[in-house]
Amino acid sequence: MVDTTKNTKLFTSYGVSTSRTVSPEMAAKLISKAKRPLLMVGTLTLEPEILDRVVKISKAANIPIAATGSSMASLVDKDVDAKYINAHMLGFYLTDPKWPGLDGNGNYDMVIAIGFKKYYINQVLSAAKNFSNLKTIAIERGYIQNATMSFGNLSKADYYAALDELINAL
Amino acid sequence: MSKLTTGSFSIEDLESVQITINNIVGAAKEAAEEKAKELVNAGPTLFAGLESYRDDWNFKLLDRYEPVITPMCDQCCYCTYGPCDLSGNKRGACGIDMLGHNGREFFLRVITGTACHAAHGRHLLDHLIETFGEDLPLNLGQSNVLTPNITISTGLSPKTLGEVKPAMEYVEEQLTQLLATVHAGQESAEIDYDSKALFSGSLDHVGMEISDIVQVTAYDFPRADPEAPLIEIGMGTIDKSKPFLCVIGHNVAGVTYMMDYMEDHDLTDKMEIAGLCCTAIDLTRYKEADRRPPYAKVIGSMSKELKVIRSGMPDVIVVDEQCVRGDIVPEAQKLMIPVIASNPKIMYGLPNRTDADVDETIEELRSGKIPGCVMLDYDKLGEICIRLTMEMAPIRDASGITAIPTDEEFTNWVMKCADCGACMIACPEELDIPEAMGFAKEGDYSYLDILHDQCIGCRRCEQVCKKEIPILNIIEKAAQKQISEEKGLMRAGRGQVSDAEIRAEGLNLVMGTTPGIIAIIGCPNYPEGTKDVYYIAEEFLKRNFIVVTTGCGAMDIGMFKDEDGKTLYERFPGGFECGGLANIGSCVSNAHITGAAEKVAAIFAQRTLEGNLAEIGDYVLNRVGACGLAWGAFSQKASSIGTGCNILGIPAVLGPHSSKYRRALIAKNYEEDKWKVYDARNGQEMAIPPAPEFLLTTAETWQEAIPMMAKACIRPSDNNMGRSIKLTHWMELHKKYLGSKPEDWWKFVRNEADLPLATREALLKELEKEHGWEIDWKRKKVISGPKIKFDVSAQPTNLKRLCKEA
Repeated sequence: MVDTTKNTKLFTSYGVSTSRTVSPEMAAKLISKAKRPLLMVGTLTLEPEILDRVVKISKAANIPIAATGSSMASLVDKDVDAKYINAHMLGFYLTDPKWPGLDGNGNYDMVIAIGFKKYYINQVLSAAKNFSNLKTIAIERGYIQNATMSFGNLSKADYYAALDELINAL
Repeated sequence: MSKLTTGSFSIEDLESVQITINNIVGAAKEAAEEKAKELVNAGPTLFAGLESYRDDWNFKLLDRYEPVITPMCDQCCYCTYGPCDLSGNKRGACGIDMLGHNGREFFLRVITGTACHAAHGRHLLDHLIETFGEDLPLNLGQSNVLTPNITISTGLSPKTLGEVKPAMEYVEEQLTQLLATVHAGQESAEIDYDSKALFSGSLDHVGMEISDIVQVTAYDFPRADPEAPLIEIGMGTIDKSKPFLCVIGHNVAGVTYMMDYMEDHDLTDKMEIAGLCCTAIDLTRYKEADRRPPYAKVIGSMSKELKVIRSGMPDVIVVDEQCVRGDIVPEAQKLMIPVIASNPKIMYGLPNRTDADVDETIEELRSGKIPGCVMLDYDKLGEICIRLTMEMAPIRDASGITAIPTDEEFTNWVMKCADCGACMIACPEELDIPEAMGFAKEGDYSYLDILHDQCIGCRRCEQVCKKEIPILNIIEKAAQKQISEEKGLMRAGRGQVSDAEIRAEGLNLVMGTTPGIIAIIGCPNYPEGTKDVYYIAEEFLKRNFIVVTTGCGAMDIGMFKDEDGKTLYERFPGGFECGGLANIGSCVSNAHITGAAEKVAAIFAQRTLEGNLAEIGDYVLNRVGACGLAWGAFSQKASSIGTGCNILGIPAVLGPHSSKYRRALIAKNYEEDKWKVYDARNGQEMAIPPAPEFLLTTAETWQEAIPMMAKACIRPSDNNMGRSIKLTHWMELHKKYLGSKPEDWWKFVRNEADLPLATREALLKELEKEHGWEIDWKRKKVISGPKIKFDVSAQPTNLKRLCKEA
């Protein structure tokens, strides 16, 4: 088992609030319990190792995908429910209880973020962190302070192993 | 207040006494206000103040384009009540909440940027009036509308250097008012800080306009010249065998004296003068109005500053103001490079030799007795810099300074790397330096080579390296071949868009045969490297958009060549025309980009400019398909430039780093109430498509930015041909870069003529099947379905007061 709850080193701090670290198993439990989760997928998903796992997570837990940046290009033929949206706009809409969501059925109660540069996802999530009750889980290789819960900083190998554990637990 | 005005008078009985009054505080403004009364059709906001645009325009913009606050920090550390924890939008000890504090934080960045440009303008204006006199006529090329931004804000239309002064005083007065609102216990509402930020943005374009029009006039820069000379750009263009004077900053005033000294002493082919940032761009504009063969060169942006110094190439460095690194003196000192500070805004703690003897100062610098000096006398500056460069070059050669690591040093440092990963966590670009070092240990340097273009030269990696490896030097050593081939061409800044170009393009923009104006501006904090802006510019140029550019973006576009060895500046015309790549100039030339949009309203649509910002902004928002891109925006000046574009109805896409500005302006495309305007003919409400759907947001990649920008060129008043052409480009670009057709394309369709011609039938079928629209297939016409109606004579406006029935 990969210990994803260690190494929360930050180079720059976003202040006093920091995300709780979470294990793959716990992340899977929380995702499974969510009533209306959304998988927020960034451009790093173009890397095959991450893309493969994103598709598995989406299918295993039946979670729709918000494909931000250029990630949609890699998801169109993967038989997943993915729609393109700009990440900054998504970050804003997620703070609005009246947002109809990507499918018209209303806003989400949990967002799982994967495939982003740390500086960008931290910034986008800071809106949700300060101005909404949305729960966000960052399943990234780096520790994301502005998520509600996050993995710690991981090596590439540990990161892929952690994602696999999460997929198996879904 | 005194009724005296500027001028001179003699006392009758004392004929030998003459008193010259150069300026009376407030008199210039008073005279300007008198003049403003003469304006017959002026708008409601002559000499606008903090509150002038708030209710009539800014709040209308901010109602649709809501401020999106993404705090950089959940604390406020502003006063001694704190630090306060504001997380979750809590209120601090002074009563301000997280929203208000972050509104203030963004606002502070905007007024800082505005102050930089305005102070730059003041310096140039005073210096040039002292040198050339107040009566020097403004000469900007073939234009009657010389100063659209000044005119919009004040109603003034200066024709000489002296007549610019009241506009300068106006900006300075308003900046003082704005700065005061930052004080603890002042403004606390986020929405009002945003309104004030928008106002500051409008002032910024006045300050920039002043800076550029006075330097274009006095320094004989190209004047609205589409064929301004091509300038060499890149680190590889420097002839290392010659003495090299490197200039850095944003104020060309001092550099002109160096160039004059070079020319007077026949040294232009015996030494190199080149620079970084906007001083470099502007020195290549100096005396180029007659398109003489250029000899000054541009190295690149701020991201190249440390790399150039570490290369050891410069023999002397001169800095002036803005975008200049804070560690230039210690870095230069290691390599025996004297540093001369030529502007009081940056003095680096160096000894001031302004009043000292030139020969003595050169000796102090040459011998290394002092690492540099402050020199504010431009005549002396010109002489010292050139003579010192010629003297330092052989001294530095003889001392055997080798800045780039030897092969042995390089290998030793690479092998020292412990793969701890601290550099990657510290790197603002999150570059995988440990991985590249790992490959280098095995003899593969290609991964380090790739990092050169992505690296912004900030040195944060070195600060955290426990093994004290000079990582920047390692990357540059591995990229020596790439650096030596870094030779491109950029067009010298051409100055403002002429009235004739506006008249010629106005119809194309309205018809959509020119699908939009793309303005690529900004700084070098790119997410993936400089080539991003080249790709973006090329894509839009090939599609007949007008691409205008300035500053670092303009430089980086010129760094790359196609398979035939040609840069985009050689492949595309330099005019403000369909498929043209117009390099307007340096950062301060950005005023001519908003100026071009304002001129479309003034010249093409005959709208009044004087004191009429809301109406001009309203016209641009509804009718002029323009979108800015500040892909590497990092500075406070970039935030003020962008905010000035926003108040004038021009949306901008920023790179992902710019999310750190803490705020965006994004509309809710799902709220139908937000997408209504008035028809000025009768005051009735009319539904419009969600276009543009943001005024300011970030994109994650350049591939995402391209379709976003094409979409942002769609405007409510597009005619059928224009909408069809714009939809064609957006949908094709979305498919090309994001892999699929956009989900919401149908929201922009009013009738069958709006649809792209090549795919019209297929799209009609989709409208029928997916969206339930009723189609008459015999005539291939839309019978029902669209929520928006097309009326060719409709006059969309957000301003009820412009409606005839109002």
